[in-house]
Amino acid sequence: MKTILKQIGIILLISGVVSFLANSVHPRKIPWVQSWSNQVEAKAKQNGIKVIPLSVALQKFQSLEEPATFVDARSVDEFEAGHIPGALSIPFQSLEEEFPMIGSLIDSGQELIVYCQNRECDDSLLLAMELQAMGAENLVLYIDGFEVWQKYGGVVEQ
Amino acid sequence: MTADQKIYRFAYWLACFIIAATLLSGYHKILYPADFALAVYRFHLLPEELVNISAIYFQWLEIICGLCLLFVPKLRVAALWIALVLLLVFSGAIGINLVRGTAFSCGCFSNAPDAPPMDWMSVARNAALMALVGLALIGFKRSGETAH
Repeated sequence: MKTILKQIGIILLISGVVSFLANSVHPRKIPWVQSWSNQVEAKAKQNGIKVIPLSVALQKFQSLEEPATFVDARSVDEFEAGHIPGALSIPFQSLEEEFPMIGSLIDSGQELIVYCQNRECDDSLLLAMELQAMGAENLVLYIDGFEVWQKYGGVVEQ
Repeated sequence: MTADQKIYRFAYWLACFIIAATLLSGYHKILYPADFALAVYRFHLLPEELVNISAIYFQWLEIICGLCLLFVPKLRVAALWIALVLLLVFSGAIGINLVRGTAFSCGCFSNAPDAPPMDWMSVARNAALMALVGLALIGFKRSGETAH
């Protein structure tokens, strides 16, 4: 048993040394410590908004049983250049102009899936927080955004 | 060597090979460390200061255990015990997140955004791998091999 414990120690030590060296020279190296609480999805979690990745967004998009409404928080120009089919454009920057549409959207009780361009943009989070404050309960944030949707072959409407 | 010992030795080698192949199939974590760190963060089990360090360390620990299982007979049993602990920890982490209702992938075999979310099958797969580790350890003991 003592021999095995010693060998376990050797493996743990070798792994420590290799991981240190590898991360120091890795072309895609990451910092040893990073602030995760600044990430959009961390803020969403703090605000009680459920976050979903591309795989789940695709499932919901294809689901016929539980239709959901995608809400695009990007600018009108970005929306017109390409968006998830059937998505509604509610740019966070011009939210006030869309109040009547938002009211009926919330009243419909349908699940709302809010997104913006990518994982770093926070327009979708800000819009989701506004919708939540206006009474939307069935609401999720699609975190990977339109960029990843397009990259992984999601259907795009123009 | 008796016939029984031969069977146990074969079971030990086969189980080691399967476990090593599984551990080595996580090589994508090394290629894309930022994606794996994100997967570790999404478990919401570690303080943020430990997320990246854990992601960097565990990806290499898995690979080195896999290599030891394949190429370093002297360290094979130690690697099996580490694999067992890793599987227990990962299964616990997945279980906690399934109860919480996560929508994310465990990052076990793919970090791609379209990887399917973790489910109880991930826990079942880990349980099967833990059973294989048990088989390998029994096979090792009964085949009369030594850890040197």
